[in-house]
Amino acid sequence: MRKAATGALAMGLILIVGTAAQARIKLVALPQREATLLRLDNPAFTLVEEERLLTLQKGTNQVDFSWKGVNIDPDSIRLQILDHPQEVRLISVSYPPNEAALVWQIYSPQPFNERVRVSYLLSNIDRLVTYEGLVPTDESSMELKSYLVLRNFSGEDFPEAKVQLDYGESFEKSIQHQETKRMLFFSKAKLPVEKTFTWDDRREPWDPEKMDRNVGIPVFYTLYNTQEKGLGENALWGGKVRVFQEDGRGSTIFLGEDKVELVPVGEKLSLYIGESRDIVVTQRKMKEERKIKERNSSGQPILWDTEEILEVKVENFKDKPALLILTEHIPGQWDMASCTHKYELKDFETLEFRIDLKPKEKVNLTMHYHRRNLR
Amino acid sequence: MSTRAIFGALAGLLLLSPGAWAGVELVSLPERESVQLTIYNSADLTLVRELRKLTLRKGVNRLSFGWANTVIDPTSLNLRALERPDAVQLLDVAYPPRINTQGIWTVQSQLEGEVPVEITFFTSGITWRAFYVATLASDERSMHLQGYVRVTNNSGEDYENARTRLVVGKIHLLDQIAELARRPAPYGMPVGAGVKPAAEEKRVLMRKAEAALEAAAAPQAPTRPKEIIKEGLSEYFLYTIEGTETISNSWSKRLPSLEVAEVPVVNLYKFEEERYGKEVVRFLLFANDTQHKLGDTPLPDGLVKVFRKVDREGHLSYEGADNTKYIPVGQKVELNLGSAPKVKVEPKLMKTRTENFSFNKDRNIDGWEEVQDWKVEVRNNREVAARVEVKRNFRHQHWELKLGGEEHGKLEKEDLDTISFTMELKPHQRREFSYTVRFFEGERRNRK
Repeated sequence: MRKAATGALAMGLILIVGTAAQARIKLVALPQREATLLRLDNPAFTLVEEERLLTLQKGTNQVDFSWKGVNIDPDSIRLQILDHPQEVRLISVSYPPNEAALVWQIYSPQPFNERVRVSYLLSNIDRLVTYEGLVPTDESSMELKSYLVLRNFSGEDFPEAKVQLDYGESFEKSIQHQETKRMLFFSKAKLPVEKTFTWDDRREPWDPEKMDRNVGIPVFYTLYNTQEKGLGENALWGGKVRVFQEDGRGSTIFLGEDKVELVPVGEKLSLYIGESRDIVVTQRKMKEERKIKERNSSGQPILWDTEEILEVKVENFKDKPALLILTEHIPGQWDMASCTHKYELKDFETLEFRIDLKPKEKVNLTMHYHRRNLR
Repeated sequence: MSTRAIFGALAGLLLLSPGAWAGVELVSLPERESVQLTIYNSADLTLVRELRKLTLRKGVNRLSFGWANTVIDPTSLNLRALERPDAVQLLDVAYPPRINTQGIWTVQSQLEGEVPVEITFFTSGITWRAFYVATLASDERSMHLQGYVRVTNNSGEDYENARTRLVVGKIHLLDQIAELARRPAPYGMPVGAGVKPAAEEKRVLMRKAEAALEAAAAPQAPTRPKEIIKEGLSEYFLYTIEGTETISNSWSKRLPSLEVAEVPVVNLYKFEEERYGKEVVRFLLFANDTQHKLGDTPLPDGLVKVFRKVDREGHLSYEGADNTKYIPVGQKVELNLGSAPKVKVEPKLMKTRTENFSFNKDRNIDGWEEVQDWKVEVRNNREVAARVEVKRNFRHQHWELKLGGEEHGKLEKEDLDTISFTMELKPHQRREFSYTVRFFEGERRNRK
C-alpha cells in the first residue's frame, strides 16, 4: 500500500509467528490488500471490506492488525475466513495495551495461503447525494439528475476500491484521502411536476402592504416517487436539489434550491423553489363579537360563543393561471355559518382551500364562523 | 487577463499534487470563447455560463479547471458537451486533496479533436440593483420616470464581452455562495473529520490598473444606449442587456432600463396618528399598468428619487425618496415622500360623555357607553390640489359611527376597528368635518 504525502496513515496486517508470551516482535510479511469494497449503504457509517492473503503455518498463528491516523471502531473489526472456513478457525481476539491494534489468534491444521476478509467501520468517509432539476419554460415537467458525492477524509487512500450503495451494482472508483468526487448517479427525464403557491395564515403576514419588506408567497414544485410519475424504483436519498429552467433561448436560469429528506417509494417530493411576488394575499378580520351564554352568580361571563368574519383577498398579477393552496386555522370548537369557497379539513383546526386562479384574476374569500363554548 | 485568475493556479498545482495525480496527464482548459452572466439581486449569486473548445483525444481525458482568487461555489461546477453529448461522457469530477480551488473532470470521449463544451458555475461577488429617478411636472399631476440598473463586479474575475442578464425575484437559497466558496472542502467534511486547511496560497494578483482601464474603454463608441429585453420566467423576471458588456473586477456599470414620460400620478396626503404621528405624510400614487403608461413588466425594488420641475427653465427641486418594493404588473404603488408640513390634519375631541350604565347584582357598574364628538380640520396650504386620507383607528371593534354633514368625503371601513375618510382639496382649501363615535364598554358590548 502507498503512503500519502501527509504520512498520517498506516494500516496493515502484520503476521506474527510465535506465542503470545514473546514480546510483540512483528515479523513483517505484509500481505497485500486485494479487493476492497466500500459499503455506503448506511448514511451514518461506512463499512470497509478488504481481502488479504495470509500465509498461515500449521498450528496457531498470530495476526496483528494495526492502524494509525485513521479512525476505526475496534469493536467493529471482523475477520472472515474465505478459502477453508471449515478448517481454519479464529481462536481469539486480543487488544494490545496503548496501541491502535488487535491480534487475532488463528488456528490452521496445515499450512495454507488463506484468503481472509477484514471488515471494519471507518469514520470520516461517506457519501452525499445532490440533485439537479431542469424544467422547460412551461414548468410542466422536470429532468432530474442525481449525483453521488464521495468524501474521503478518513486518513486512508483507496486507489482501487469498489463502491457499493444501497442498491444497484457496485462500481470501481479511486478516492484519495482528503479528496471529494462527484459522479452522475441517475438521470430521469419528463417527470411530471405540479407547481403550487402556498399561503398559511400562521406563517405569512396578513397585510403585506403594511410590511416594509417585500412579501412573497412560497412556490413549490411537487414530484412523486411513483412509477406512474416516472420514478418509484428506489427511495430517493435526501440531499440538496438545485432547480434550473430553460429560457427558450438555449440557456437556463437558476430557479432556486431546497433540501429534501429521504423520499421512500410512493411518497411525494416537495421542493420549495422561491417566492412569488406576483400573487398577493391580504387577510382582514371584519367582525369578532362575543355572545355570552352563561354567567356566574356575580354576573361575570363564564361561557360564550363568538361570531367572526374573515375576508381574504387574493390577487393574481401574473398573466398565467396559478394554483394557490391557502391554509387557515380556526382553533378549538367551531362551526362554519357560511363560506364562499370549498375547503378540506386537514385536522380539527386547519382548513385548506385549493384556489385555481385565472390570469390576472382577483378572488375574494369570506369565512363567517362561530367559535363555541369559550371560557 | 481574464484567464489569469482562473488558470493561475494550474502550474503550481501539478507540483503540489501527490501520488496518483503525478502520473496523470492534465489538460488545462483553453480560453473561453464566450461567457454569459445571469445575475440575481435577491441573493449574492451569479450563474456563469462559458463556452470553450476542448481538444479531446479518444479515450479518457482529464481536464483541470482552477479558480484561485475568485469566489466560485465548487459544487456548482458543471461541464456539458454541446454537440454529440452521447459521444462525450463525463465520468466524474474530482476535487483533489488540499487544494480547494480546483476541479478535475474525467471525460470519456469517442471523438478526437475539437469539441465545444459549456461550463457552468455559481460565483459570488457580482450584484445588481435597480434605482429610479422620477421628475414631477410642476402641477404634480404627472411624472417622467426613468429606471436604471447598476451592475457591480467584485467577484475577483474580469468578465469581458459577457452577455449579461439580470434576474428579478426571490429564489430560495440554502447556503450563501460566498460561504460555499470558502469551505476547505467543496462538499464539507463528514461530521467529526478535522483536516487542517491547505496552506494559504501566496500569490499576488498581478492586475494592472491600465489593463482594467483599457478593458473599460469600449472598442467602438456606440451611438445609442443599450436596450434591455425583458421577459418573465417562472416567478422571476429576466432582463437581458443587448449585446455584451465588459465588467472588470471591482468596476460597476449603470444602464438605463426604463424611460416613460407623463405618467399620471396622484398626490395622496395620509394622516394616521398611530402610524405617522401628528404629521401628514405625502405619498405619490400610480400603478404599474397601461393607464399609467407602464405595465409591460414588473418593476424591481429600488430607491426612487423624486424631483419636481419648478420653473420653465427646467430647474429642479428635490422632493424626497422612497425604497419601493417589487411592483407586479397591475399593482398600485405608493411612494412615501416623507412629511408634508404644508398639509395639516387636526382631529379635535369636542365633547365626551358616558351614559347607559348597567350594574351587576352587587350594584357595581359592569357596563357603559362612551360617546365622543370629533371635529377634524383639514387644510391644504399648497399651490396644488391634494387628496387627503384621514385614517382613524378605534380602541376596539365595539363602536357605532354617526356622521355630521357631507364634508367627510368617502368613508370606508378597512377592518373591524379602522375607518378612513378620503377627500379632494383644491389649492389653499380648508375643510372641516365631524363625526360622533359611540363605544360600548364592559357588559354593554354583550347587551347592545
